[in-house]
Amino acid sequence: MAATHALPPAAPIQRPRVLVVGAAFASAAAVMVFIGMIAIYLAERADTLASGDTWLPKGAQISLHQPNTMLFTLAMSVVTMQWAVSAISNNDRVNSYLALGTTLVFGLAVIVMTTYLYGLMGLDITANTQSVLIYTITGAHLVMVVLAVAFVALMAFRALAGGFSARQHDGITAAAIFWYAMVAVYALIWITIYVTK
Amino acid sequence: MALTDTRPESGTGSATAPAPALARSATLLGTGDHKVIGIVYIVASLVFGVAGWIVTALWGAHQLGDQGFLSDDAATTLFSGGRLGLVLLVMVPLMLGLATYVVPLQVGANTVAFPRAAAGALWTWLLSAGVFIIANGIDGGIGGGRTEAVDVCLLSIVGLVLAIVIATVCVATTAVALRTPGMTLDRVPLFTWATLTGGSIWLLTLPVLVANVVLIYVDHHYGRPSDYGVSASQWSQISWLVGQPQIYAFVIPGLGIISDVVATLTGARQANRGFLLLGIGSFAVLSVGAWAQPYFYPKVHDEAVWAAMSLLIVLPVLLLLAGWITTIRQGTPTAKSPLGLGLASGLLLLLAVVAGALYVFTPLRLRESDVYSAGVFALVVAAGLAAGAAGVMYWAPKMTGRVAADGIGKLNVLVFLGGGVLAGVPLLVLGFANRFDGLTDAADTLHGIAVAGDVVLAFGVLLTIVALVSTSRGASVADDAWGTGQTLEWACPSPPPAGNFGELAVVRSPEPLLDAAEPVEEA
Repeated sequence: MAATHALPPAAPIQRPRVLVVGAAFASAAAVMVFIGMIAIYLAERADTLASGDTWLPKGAQISLHQPNTMLFTLAMSVVTMQWAVSAISNNDRVNSYLALGTTLVFGLAVIVMTTYLYGLMGLDITANTQSVLIYTITGAHLVMVVLAVAFVALMAFRALAGGFSARQHDGITAAAIFWYAMVAVYALIWITIYVTK
Repeated sequence: MALTDTRPESGTGSATAPAPALARSATLLGTGDHKVIGIVYIVASLVFGVAGWIVTALWGAHQLGDQGFLSDDAATTLFSGGRLGLVLLVMVPLMLGLATYVVPLQVGANTVAFPRAAAGALWTWLLSAGVFIIANGIDGGIGGGRTEAVDVCLLSIVGLVLAIVIATVCVATTAVALRTPGMTLDRVPLFTWATLTGGSIWLLTLPVLVANVVLIYVDHHYGRPSDYGVSASQWSQISWLVGQPQIYAFVIPGLGIISDVVATLTGARQANRGFLLLGIGSFAVLSVGAWAQPYFYPKVHDEAVWAAMSLLIVLPVLLLLAGWITTIRQGTPTAKSPLGLGLASGLLLLLAVVAGALYVFTPLRLRESDVYSAGVFALVVAAGLAAGAAGVMYWAPKMTGRVAADGIGKLNVLVFLGGGVLAGVPLLVLGFANRFDGLTDAADTLHGIAVAGDVVLAFGVLLTIVALVSTSRGASVADDAWGTGQTLEWACPSPPPAGNFGELAVVRSPEPLLDAAEPVEEA
């Protein structure tokens, strides 16, 4: 007669939202780097304007076309990122793949556009304070975009491999939080550096 | 195979071969165990602490007499390296090490959140610390004269802050998302609460230091087109980190350590716990100092907000002291070294915040020289290290399974209290030199006393290491080493096994171990 044994208890499921909470903390820290830089930028610009000079040096031109295009691109990426979260929350995998892929394309487009803008600006980083500030802030944001794209790509691959479901989609939610933080930082940069120059 | 059969992997037979034993070094390097990570942080930060105070003493000795014995570059890097080192290599990682070890245990978690990230942060911090020390040693510190080494030093500071931020995210996430059932946020142990609030402030302020350092780096690396990278102005841009109110932020977890030590070693439930939560939280809020950067905002010390923060921060310290004293009066305090170290830390912090409040008053003209704020800095760091030493002595039985030599700890109470007063108060007195001519004549004597205080504090940190090592000869302890433990870390074996806990009962109060002894009715 075969002995009857109870199955061992299932492994406890990981308590929810760990990745989401961690992403929120990390995003807050990342945003603070830019708040620090932009505060310095605004203080320097106010000093320069108060002394009667213009902020941007002669010969430097920062067109609004590319920054505006990037802003609209990132605004659309917020929609597609939320689309991905919403789709995976409803177990709609096809739509989540599509949304994550579109978000990645938007992110890559912003990277390309930023580098293109650098070529147009005519600012020499070794020339003056303005150049140092503008390249440091926008360059740091470029790094943040790359990190956000890498984060979303990683989660997209995990989704393609069968990860995530309506019940457990913390990875995509966490990537979305970091993505939104990146877009919010760009909105700050757009208004302070590109618009009010 | 029928479903009701025992699963082969869970059987007790010999089917599963034992895993080959790894070398200890490989275990250490590859570990994601929060306990190992925490201990490495603690030991490394204490070793750096001895060096940090010796460096500070050397700089102080250089100040004696008319002509110092160091070149200008060496004196500048020794000063900035000593200040930054005491914060980023000593005080913050000591608190983080204790938090990484203890917070998962206090909240009933079987691991820290993101253990691989926590391990990565540890090694990044250690590597960056090594680079920072080497760069400072070859005239490449902040304000140093060797261009490439200064660049490397700046990058190492970014690495240090990045590591601290990642480690803080891991600990704060553990406190928020990995609490055991029933442990609501108002029931977390006070050390966990202090780590969460303090960690949140670190996450909001230390990235601003990264912003400063990156700007300095870019400017310095590209030929100094602006003033950021110029040697003479580098330190001014980041000195807010060691000035008030920001310096107070690094001692916040220490307030939680003192609170837990007082409650356990008096055997009483913490009196007025809500006020203590409020006190620690308001102290944290009032220590946000990243916005107060005199280099970019020269009139910041005339701002009402800055003055209000510097004055108001005295209140939470008084509130906390009142709470601790009330608990001691309600309980039966035992004369153990963690309690003495905790109270010494509280007194040093009170002295620091009162001195900081005086700094606000313009008629006193204390802001005319840097010496007064250097005194406040010394007092705050001494308070932080005394609290850290209290934490090490308090949790050493949990970490090692054995008792630390309490005699060394008791000696350390006098050493930290005396060293802190000697290192800080003479500089505070010298800050009044603009009002009393006699003090200018006594400057060398006062500096000399402060140098002696620095050396005494280095000795105190060394004694803490000795006390930790002394546990190897101590007697074995039970799960609850003090016999009056209140929080969950005292419910697991000493030292805790992998996974920390078995099944935990639902937590129903901030002192679950006391509840086990005195069951309370469910509301």
